[in-house]
Amino acid sequence: MTLFRQIALIVSILLITILTTVLNLNFQAANVSVQDRLYEDAKNTASSLSLSLGSANGDLSMMSTMINANFDSGNYHYISLVDVDDELLYERKSESEQLDVPEWFSNFVNIEAPVASANVSAGWSQVGILNVQSDVTYAYKALYSILKGLLISFSIIAVVGLIVLNLLLVVILKPLREVQKQAEAVMRNKFIIQKSIPYTKEFRDVVLGMNNMVSKVKAMFDKGNRELQHQKELEYIDQTTKLRNRKYLIDKLPEYLKVDAVSKGGINMMIALSGVIEANEALGHRKVDELFNDIADIFREQTEDFEDVIIARMNGTEFSIFIPDCESMHGLMIAETILTNSQFVMKKYELNASETFLSIGLYEYKHTQNIGELLSHSDNALAQAKFKEWNIHLAKAEESVEVMGKDAWRAILLDVIKRNNFKFVSWSVVNAKTKKIIHNVLSLNMKVDEDTTYYFGQFMAPANQVGLSDDIYKNVLDMMFKTPDSNLENETYSLRLPYEYLKQSGTYDRMKALFSVYALTLPFRLIIEIPDKLASQNSELVQDYKRLFERYQIEMGIFEFIGESKDYQYLQDLRPVYIKGEPSYFISQNEQSLSALRLITDSLGISLIATGVMNIDTLEQLEAKDIHIVQGRVTDMIETEG
Amino acid sequence: MNIFKLLLVLSVFFVNSLYAQKPYVEKELLNKITKKYKMFAKKRFVYLQEILDETKDGDDLQKLEAVNRFYNGVRYMSDRKVYGKSDYWATPWQFLGKDKGDCEDYVISKYFALIYLGVDSKKLFFTYVRSSKFKAAHMVLTYFKTPRSEPLILDSNNQKIFPASSRKDLTPIYNFNGESLYRASKSGTGKKIRSKKAHKKWDELKLNMKRKLI
Repeated sequence: MTLFRQIALIVSILLITILTTVLNLNFQAANVSVQDRLYEDAKNTASSLSLSLGSANGDLSMMSTMINANFDSGNYHYISLVDVDDELLYERKSESEQLDVPEWFSNFVNIEAPVASANVSAGWSQVGILNVQSDVTYAYKALYSILKGLLISFSIIAVVGLIVLNLLLVVILKPLREVQKQAEAVMRNKFIIQKSIPYTKEFRDVVLGMNNMVSKVKAMFDKGNRELQHQKELEYIDQTTKLRNRKYLIDKLPEYLKVDAVSKGGINMMIALSGVIEANEALGHRKVDELFNDIADIFREQTEDFEDVIIARMNGTEFSIFIPDCESMHGLMIAETILTNSQFVMKKYELNASETFLSIGLYEYKHTQNIGELLSHSDNALAQAKFKEWNIHLAKAEESVEVMGKDAWRAILLDVIKRNNFKFVSWSVVNAKTKKIIHNVLSLNMKVDEDTTYYFGQFMAPANQVGLSDDIYKNVLDMMFKTPDSNLENETYSLRLPYEYLKQSGTYDRMKALFSVYALTLPFRLIIEIPDKLASQNSELVQDYKRLFERYQIEMGIFEFIGESKDYQYLQDLRPVYIKGEPSYFISQNEQSLSALRLITDSLGISLIATGVMNIDTLEQLEAKDIHIVQGRVTDMIETEG
Repeated sequence: MNIFKLLLVLSVFFVNSLYAQKPYVEKELLNKITKKYKMFAKKRFVYLQEILDETKDGDDLQKLEAVNRFYNGVRYMSDRKVYGKSDYWATPWQFLGKDKGDCEDYVISKYFALIYLGVDSKKLFFTYVRSSKFKAAHMVLTYFKTPRSEPLILDSNNQKIFPASSRKDLTPIYNFNGESLYRASKSGTGKKIRSKKAHKKWDELKLNMKRKLI
């Protein structure tokens, strides 16, 4: 229960208790007052009637008549006359006991009408004592009316009092709410500096303290951000041509070389500049650097139509142009244009074209190949090109023999999607240092029949090829939320969603509709992983996803992180629980780069996780870099607790 | 033997002190009266105590005579002159302290002195009368030996006590006895009422006496 509610509750109880007590005291006072009034009335009657009775000279018939006249004309319950020996001489008693008030009230309130007495004498002689008791009917009516009035007025006071109290508390505790918001923001690793400093000393100290702390953490993040940007520039950019370098290409390639990659293949050109030594002798180093810049410009111009192209300087004389979704013919055309344009550049620098020239090896790759295969085939193509007359050579990846054709896959996939015959499987992400499972990664198996089950790596590539991957992800989300697997309860699971599916129009709205109905009843903690390529755009769509996930307590993770962004502000905005990268990325980072990354992630409470860790050697290298959380085959070799 | 005598004397002294009647005006109150009304007032109270002590063993008539005689020695003066009020019922300490008062004050002081002497309160009444001699409202203390007997009149204007039938100059209007009214004032259900009330002036007087108003 919040402090506001506790204070409001206590003060409300206090207020109601005070009001009830005051109401009770008021009512009791009114009760006493009414009873006093009853007595005074009775006493007045007793005094005046006793004087009248004195004139009757002890004649009982006369005195009875006088008593009757008085009794009948006023509101009396009882009038009696007793003689000096306490013997009753005459009495009148009201026979009607009907009260004009609700029964509960007459049961609740006990009104005692006091008896007032007066001596009665006849001349010097005593006659006796006259007793008069007023009728309580009037008193009950008056008290009931008073009670109603009191209840109404006190109810109004209570309501008004509670409203005023609530408003006062809101005003008084407003700074506390701001402090609370700030504290919650700190817990979510958001940096909020509270500008309005509260007047109340205790709140002011807390706000100033938290502002100070948040400022320091923010400064830490900013420093890390600047440092990492600087390191990235040194690490991924060739300082002469401003092209990417070999390391960048190596770190980036896993995004394209995977079973569920959207791009199924393309062209990788390896380009070598021969005769650099001669050029240096003829032109000098500065001029040769200008030559390299002009050649780099040719590469940029010729590939500007390709969105995902990676142009990298591999070493002093070699370049690579990685063009996904580029067909071999198109690649050859580009290569020829590059060669032709480069010859103009050589002429510009008055270089001998037979000494200084470009050779281009083109390799048509498949997304299922690994980096080593891609680079070695590309190098081979380049070696072949150097011996060709036109210095261009195209090599193609061997066509793998497909067990099933596309049509067969389509039929199987459509059938499984229709029957929703997917099953979640999971493996652990483990902290090798603490030996604890951090979370579990969800994957899919596809069951075709009793004997045939395909793993994610087996069916996702054909699914991409036949354009059914989005349908599979849609089914997977439906299955996860609508019929959650009871085996997954009380754990944390992550689900990786690809760039293309998240970017597709309709995905966000579909997720929103799904979450609004099912997300709050999800029996496990879910982390949805989005690719760094999408996260680093920090677009409106990404922000929408973040807000959507937050609303339903779904956390965000980032995968395929290689830290290529120009600004890491998106990490602060998205505040993912972790970022996942290839082991090669982490291992190849220099000390400054990694510590800058750590500065950012530590200030935001983000874990670093290495994926696809296959062996203990890699794990040891990662641990040397202070990366302890890993996923991949190596987790089977780590004995976890519990 | 000597010890036995000593014990006997001590026990007699103890019993005497236990049963000895308290003075009409207690010492502490008498000191206050002395401080306020000076030494002559104290002497009046001491003299009153002597008279009360002398008559405490007498019959009702002797007590009536002694008390009536003593108090009738006080000077008559209207409430307006003494207290600045049209009507005020003074406590016995105020009356004798100031050594002046009107007819009600005589009645009050006589009443309480007689009660002190052990006269039954049921026999004593405050009686409003009309004095044909002075053609004015007046009050006397009446003593009824029995409820139905002819009362004796203790009048501030008359040193002697006479039966009512001998006081042709007085016309009785109204008798009241505060204590008897207290006894009668019970709730209709027979329970005692919350506060004792009998007669407005009488109630005020009782309150003043409780507060030891001097």
